[in-house]
Amino acid sequence: MEEKELIEKAQSGNRQALSELIKNYEQTVYNFSFKICRNKERAENTMQETFLSMVKSLNQFSGNSKLSTWLYTVVSNHCLMLARSQKKYEYTPIEDDDALIDEKDVTDWSVSPERVAENNELKALLDDAISHLEPEYRVVFLLRDVEGLSTEETADIVKLSVPAVKSRLHRARAFLRNELNKSLKYGIS
Amino acid sequence: MEFHKITCKDVMNHICDNLGEDLDSPKCREIKNHLEECDCCRTYRSSIDSTIKLYKEYNVEVNDDIHKRLMEFIENNTKP
Ligand SMILES: [Zn+2]
Repeated sequence: MEEKELIEKAQSGNRQALSELIKNYEQTVYNFSFKICRNKERAENTMQETFLSMVKSLNQFSGNSKLSTWLYTVVSNHCLMLARSQKKYEYTPIEDDDALIDEKDVTDWSVSPERVAENNELKALLDDAISHLEPEYRVVFLLRDVEGLSTEETADIVKLSVPAVKSRLHRARAFLRNELNKSLKYGIS
Repeated sequence: MEFHKITCKDVMNHICDNLGEDLDSPKCREIKNHLEECDCCRTYRSSIDSTIKLYKEYNVEVNDDIHKRLMEFIENNTKP
């Protein structure tokens, strides 16, 4: 069944269509929530709240926008709200754009990204690095680079201009690379 | 107008700005030439690529329990 048709059925109260919609997106929403929160419990909570808002506002949903974009927006907002309620000093502020790139600190990593799934040490490293990145930057990096949305879609979701998204992306990439470099330049078991 | 000779830092900044985008300006061509000759910038580029790949490969899955709890949550919170 087409998504448009599923949404229409769900809007008219068809529970089965609603379950199917949820089933189609739960993996994306949960995974994306986790990638922002870096915590399974918070990711599950975010996913539940996201689908609850979807169910509650389904009738206002027009066929013109993409449901996935809408869901990414809700997850991003929820996680940013959670993050703002946390203490600021957990993040490493990005003040000096110029200091983000140090051409003298470039080393070969010899790491195979495919092995992440089975490597807990690497997972911990990735969680740690991204949790120091300010959430406003994190969201942009995840939407654009990890989820593979376009710069325009990303700008839409985070309500920023395209140049602002690009500038955040630049900083996020350089920042994360530096954080990982601290450990990966020595190699990982 | 003549360009100043680009530095490794310029190239690295460019990599962060325009990763994967195939731009075709005199500056971009200069950067491509630089990348072909400079190990350091190529290594930097590959570490930026790896950074993205690592976060792409690190995924979590919705198992049956998580799915069940989600459906119960929706059910319990949307009762008339
Ligand atoms: Zn160079």
